[in-house]
Amino acid sequence: MQKQAILLGSDAIANGVKLCRPAVISAYPITPQTHIIETLSEMVDRGELESQYIKVESEMSAIAAVLGSVSAGSRSFTASSSQGLAMMHEVLHWFAGARLPLVLVNANRALGAPWNIWSDQSDSFSQRDTGWLQIYCETSQEALDTIIIAYKASEQLMLPIMVMIDGFILSHTMERLLIPDQQLVDDYLPAYQAPYRLDPDDPLTFGAAAQPDLFYELKKTFSETMSEAPTVLKNCEADFRQAFARAYSPVMRCPEGDEKSDTAIICCGAMTGTARVAVADLNKRGLSTDLLKIRLLRPFPKDELCAVCRDKKRIIVLNRACSYGVGGTLSQEVRAALYHLEQRPLVNDVMISLGGKEVFPETIAAVIENREELSSVDCNWLK
Amino acid sequence: MTELKYVKAIKDGDFRGLPISRASTAVNMTGSWKFFRPHLVSKNSPCREACPLQIPIAAYLGRLAEGKPSAALALLREFNPMPAVTGRVCPNFCQNACNRMEFDEAVSVGELERYLGDLGLEQAPDPVTVNRTEKIAIIGAGPAGLSAATFLARRGFKITLFEQAPAAGGLLRYAIPAYRLPRAILNREIDNLLKSYQIDLKCECRIGPDETSQLATEYSRIIWAPGLQSSRLPAAWPRLPLIKGALEVLSAISRGADINGQRFLVVGGGNAALDTARSLRRLGKEVEIIYRRTLAEMPAYAAEIKQALAEGLVIHTEEVIENVKPLTTGLQLFIHKSRKINEQIGAGEFLRTATADCLIAAIGQESDLRFNEHNNFITAGDFAHGAASVAEALASGRRAAETVLQQLGILPVPENITPDLKSKSRIEYKQLQLDYYAKKPAVKMAELDSLSRKENFSEIHQTLSSEQMQIEIERCFHCGSCTACGICWFFCPDVAIALDREESDLESRVLFDYDHCKGCGQCAAICPRGVIEMEEDN
Ligand SMILES: Cc1cc2nc3c(=O)[nH]c(=O)nc-3n(C[C@H](O)[C@H](O)[C@H](O)COP(=O)(O)OP(=O)(O)OC[C@H]3O[C@@H](n4cnc5c(N)ncnc54)[C@H](O)[C@@H]3O)c2cc1C
Ligand code: SF4
Ligand code: SF4
Ligand code: SF4
Repeated sequence: MQKQAILLGSDAIANGVKLCRPAVISAYPITPQTHIIETLSEMVDRGELESQYIKVESEMSAIAAVLGSVSAGSRSFTASSSQGLAMMHEVLHWFAGARLPLVLVNANRALGAPWNIWSDQSDSFSQRDTGWLQIYCETSQEALDTIIIAYKASEQLMLPIMVMIDGFILSHTMERLLIPDQQLVDDYLPAYQAPYRLDPDDPLTFGAAAQPDLFYELKKTFSETMSEAPTVLKNCEADFRQAFARAYSPVMRCPEGDEKSDTAIICCGAMTGTARVAVADLNKRGLSTDLLKIRLLRPFPKDELCAVCRDKKRIIVLNRACSYGVGGTLSQEVRAALYHLEQRPLVNDVMISLGGKEVFPETIAAVIENREELSSVDCNWLK
Repeated sequence: MTELKYVKAIKDGDFRGLPISRASTAVNMTGSWKFFRPHLVSKNSPCREACPLQIPIAAYLGRLAEGKPSAALALLREFNPMPAVTGRVCPNFCQNACNRMEFDEAVSVGELERYLGDLGLEQAPDPVTVNRTEKIAIIGAGPAGLSAATFLARRGFKITLFEQAPAAGGLLRYAIPAYRLPRAILNREIDNLLKSYQIDLKCECRIGPDETSQLATEYSRIIWAPGLQSSRLPAAWPRLPLIKGALEVLSAISRGADINGQRFLVVGGGNAALDTARSLRRLGKEVEIIYRRTLAEMPAYAAEIKQALAEGLVIHTEEVIENVKPLTTGLQLFIHKSRKINEQIGAGEFLRTATADCLIAAIGQESDLRFNEHNNFITAGDFAHGAASVAEALASGRRAAETVLQQLGILPVPENITPDLKSKSRIEYKQLQLDYYAKKPAVKMAELDSLSRKENFSEIHQTLSSEQMQIEIERCFHCGSCTACGICWFFCPDVAIALDREESDLESRVLFDYDHCKGCGQCAAICPRGVIEMEEDN
């Protein structure tokens, strides 16, 4: 059973988290936090969610607190955004390196200076190399579902997963969605059984100093586990589809696009929704375009992407994060993956939005209409 | 399906490839890096320094906070033999020095002491065994005598207490009114002492200076604690039967004797004046006080003055009674404005005459004992140091016991029962780390309202409930006393601290692992009570 509801994105996510029964929640409640954790704190207060809620004095402490609770074998949760996520940076590395499972929700928002609170993916893109899995969601329903999937995958891989929603665009808007029954989630996601944990009766040393050779070996294993991650995630997504009748995969083709078209738009996050409208209209007008959404950014699903781009001649990547001096961060990922194709398509790197700059269907349509003018070497900024 | 090698390995409990190990890092003696090492040093809390009995308030309240009321009571009793009494009548010297005053409001130490004192009424002190042959005589079973008896009995002495009155207690029984100190409480506390310490109390047995040599044949030492039993009368007044001393009246009220007359005038500004006036009013008499200075200068405890005024007692200030004349019934009083001459108060202009059925002087006490030879006898209490307080009398009794022990060679001379607070420094407010405390008003005892209380001797205040105690105890910072709160344990980044919550030696409750402590000093900075100090590591 799943019941219908109209909820704010943040509340939808809080409901998803609640269904996963985290034993510990820790967060810093001040800007740039979202009301995800506010709603969770109320659930704990009302006794609807049995969880230790640890209010801390910074995001650094929030992530450190759950580092402790997960080490002790408890399923945990935290959420942050922009500067808050940046502040967690050091511990993000440690979390993954320590091989601890966690789901963190990040509401993508810009990093200053200058001060800006709107949607922008630079915050999480700049955490790509921390060893976390990263999943970007298009809708609040997808975010709610992804949290449930992510706990399952994370605990199988013993790796942390960051689930992204677009700040304001998803977090602060209402959406009609389905909330699964607790029983359904309990059947899908068994209680967390930590294979190792802090236990005075069975002492283990966690993350102690490793000499260079051992360090290298450990990181090699880490990287190898990471390469198994897409398979694990896909299995979890398949199980989810069976139980909840909603399908997700690391790279998703949008039905609004024309599969046979030799031109495809690639984007990730909530912008995909806008692109769907634009592409449907373009196809109606005879400007045949395909639309691909990247859900999994880390590990990057290069095989899945190559499979759907094999016959494309032009890929237009719409970016919401910039690696200054190179260009759109997502474009780099796409280029690197497609390099392995025998027939490499042209990749146009488009910086469509930063700091909440509004993207309308017409903005995207204009890029396609004028695609011949796009540079295939440099990053294309809007005029 | 692809074989998920690493995922499977983890599931099978194979930690190879994971940054986890069964080897211990304890072999890394990171402690060798340090230049400074932490250690525990208890400090004197200001409340303790202010308490005449030097009760380790921070420490016994620490035990209470830890949920060990019996242990707290035991520690309190080591220093204070009569906590149910002092918890009621002590003016709380401690509270006036409390560090928490700078934060919000002093901790209600008196209330907490009273809470434990009442608990102690049901839990008599552990009985002692008499194992010494020397016998000790104590004259006077007031707080000073009872205290001396307690401390000596704890050392195995057989004590005989000589008391001229029909029961023990001294001014506690025959002066302090029952609405402040119910007799059932007093009786219970004294009975517990007499039983547990096997004190031989001989009532209605007045000992005069002449009996001293006779007692000396039977007793190794004699302690004199007879208090000050007579009220002084102003020299200017004639000696008339209707002019009485406060102690005489209070004693009669305490014994339930009939008090003749209806209109009373009490002269004085101390506790005796207030207690006499308030007691008489409770018997339905009309009473007014005349005091020669201002209200602010009254030596009575401020709380008592406030309560008396709330009960509607009239206090005429800056007035003196210059002359008294007997009438056929009653007295005629000549009241003058008081006049200050070089700090002395004399009579100024005449104001009015008044009549009264009885005039009571509450202007001071004196001893009715006259000693001819002052050969070094041991004294205690008001008799030794002048009219003071119960806590001071108890402390003085303890010092007298100490003197006996020293004279008999049982306690080496520089050693004391009274703790030597000079060896430790006082912990000041600024040295506390109070981030873990929130401002919170002090819990006060429930009080009978002024209307319903002023006509009877029901006790005005109610002992804190255990819920109230719980709230109040959390307000104490336990200045300078380790409570094994574990905050240092939590903050030590090197896991170099262990706690022993059961350890009663407060300086041994935190154990430092110097092999792994890097000397960062975080523990010293974070300890709320300021008991961790860093010293150079050699
Ligand atoms: C009205 C009043 C109110 C007070 N209120 C307070 C208060 O609220 N708080 C406070 O801390 N202090 C108060 N005090 C002071 C306090 O009561 C005394 O300081 C204290 O009781 C002194 O104790 P003590 O043992 O030295 O003397 P006492 O209490 O006077 O005891 C002396 C005992 O010796 C006995 N005795 C005397 N001579 C002989 C003898 N020759 N042979 C045998 N026995 C003898 C007496 O009968 C008496 O029992 C008050 C005093 C008065 C008068
Ligand atoms: S806070 Fe407690 S220990 Fe500190 S001075 Fe006050 S009563 Fe004494
Ligand atoms: S922090 Fe707590 S446990 Fe540590 S020394 Fe101070 S009082 Fe004792
Ligand atoms: S916090 Fe730990 S490491 Fe630092 S000085 Fe104290 S005991 Fe030593």
